Amino acid sequence: MTTIADLGRYVVDDPARGVFHVHREIFHDPAIFELEMAAIFEGTWIFVALESQVPRPFDFFCATIGRQPIILIRDAAGALHGLFNSCRHKGSRVCHTETGSAELLICPYHAWSYAPDGTNRSIKDARHAHAGAAFADEDHDLQRVPRLASYRGMVFASLNPDVPPLEDWLGDMRVLIDLVMDQGEHGMELVPGRTVYSYGANWKLQTENGMDPYHLTSTHPSFIEIVSRRQDEARDLAAIRSRDFNKSLEARSGCFTFPHGHSCVWTENPAPEQKPLYEGLDALRRRVGEFRAQWMLNLRNLTLYPSVQLADSESLLLRVIRPLAVDRTEMRLYCMGPVGEAPAARARRIRQHEDFFNVSGLATPDDTTVYEDCQHGFKARAIAYHQGYARGTGLVERAPVELTRRLGIAPLETVIGSFQVQQEVQYWPMYRQWRRLVEAALARGAPSARAAE
Amino acid sequence: MDEAAALAAGSALLYREAALLDRTDWDAWLALYVPDCVFWVPTWTADDRLARDPATELSHIYYATRSGLEDRVWRIRSGLSVATRPMPRTMHAITNVRLAAATDTTLELEANWSVDVFSIKNQASHRLFGRYEHRLVARDGAWLIARKVAILLNDYLPSVIDIYSV
Repeated sequence: MTTIADLGRYVVDDPARGVFHVHREIFHDPAIFELEMAAIFEGTWIFVALESQVPRPFDFFCATIGRQPIILIRDAAGALHGLFNSCRHKGSRVCHTETGSAELLICPYHAWSYAPDGTNRSIKDARHAHAGAAFADEDHDLQRVPRLASYRGMVFASLNPDVPPLEDWLGDMRVLIDLVMDQGEHGMELVPGRTVYSYGANWKLQTENGMDPYHLTSTHPSFIEIVSRRQDEARDLAAIRSRDFNKSLEARSGCFTFPHGHSCVWTENPAPEQKPLYEGLDALRRRVGEFRAQWMLNLRNLTLYPSVQLADSESLLLRVIRPLAVDRTEMRLYCMGPVGEAPAARARRIRQHEDFFNVSGLATPDDTTVYEDCQHGFKARAIAYHQGYARGTGLVERAPVELTRRLGIAPLETVIGSFQVQQEVQYWPMYRQWRRLVEAALARGAPSARAAE
Repeated sequence: MDEAAALAAGSALLYREAALLDRTDWDAWLALYVPDCVFWVPTWTADDRLARDPATELSHIYYATRSGLEDRVWRIRSGLSVATRPMPRTMHAITNVRLAAATDTTLELEANWSVDVFSIKNQASHRLFGRYEHRLVARDGAWLIARKVAILLNDYLPSVIDIYSV
């Protein structure tokens, strides 16, 4: 039986001894997965959508928070509402497509209807129901999601009402989100179309891998070779101009860690001209300043723990992570770009995204295959702990440094080194937050299959 | 060429392409394509709307020349991609082939397809299915592929898809 006290063995965080260990059980134990869903995906802020995915009054977008279906919808005045996608009568979904527009949400079963703010508008044949006063007194509105908030157009929801305000939860990650959202003079938008896929492994393999500089040269050598072959042969696809990894190896690189599980890995871009954003560089510099423009061109991956990653490397990726089972994870990939981007830059941005990030591309299938290989490897239950979270420990700075002062952030840990350090310090906040959220959920009595054993 | 002969010639090329992919006869497969071919697997931009413009909308795969397909073949053969080590076994099935348009030098074909993929590593199968639109052109007495569009109907995707999965 697992108790709160036992949780300490899953994440061993002992900076005095230079030790950071993560137990493999949290990647393969179905009982821990159930606890994670209650504690983490139904216990904190989870990304829903971009506001631009519901641009007009009555537009809606259906999402899932943890295991629970919700609707993000605008009312007539344009205000956003988060509602559970389940009729109060017998439970049917009231929104049936991923996106759409509806002035009235009508259940297909017995036609109870709801306004976009969730207010019940009608109960079919209520006058003839003889249902009594107690029924009439009940709240028949669609149930509202406890918390809904946006930062820079990113909408988050929490099924747990007891979470910090979104801005506090994001903390200094806001500065790094701003480096994404300020790239377009007229804002940012999603390119139409998206990829949805699932892989047969634990969700935390994606949260780690989306922040992992260490795997690039060993998991993606075919991509690296193809990029250099295109350039050497001056092929038409050289115009995609994805990153030349060989140049990146010498670049200055590092990570920042923050409270609430968030982190950022970054590499100074040795070939900024590969980025579609480079084409409008002079105007960008005038608008945001030389330093921020340079940081917009640098390669940066962000995790807003646990559900969403922004990868500003090849193209600009928005990646939404949704666990389905201890060994099955759903991914939704979107390509983001500045509103009003020049057509040639936009087309190149799209090709870069497809080339690297698509599950039909030249890199992601190698990642997903490795995740599945790891999940198979976890069957070696005799092995307790992963190794290697110590990479970069010797370079950790806990006080502000010139770079963090200039960026205007105060990370818990900063690592600055060459790319070849390939530190793993950026995973520390994820597992610290994992432990905090799981402990908090157990303390408030969240169901734990293990604890009930 | 009459319609029946055109349909027969076009169908034969589609079946040949399927067989070459399933046998991983990559050189013969590439040789079916003209150098400036289009190979396109569009995304769905909404439940009921396919992407129409690869320059402004996402594709699963989009190449405007054969060199993109050559990259894919190089990658599979290189041994550097763990996703194709080992190469999954595939079976293409093509049916309902229709002739949409024909001239002496071009054929437009539509067809239905499904591909069963068996991952040796995972000991598991999945199936993708959809519609094809092929444009064939006559070159030196043979039909070659100038454009292949593979519309994926079940676009909740598995963890690996590639040129051999559509």
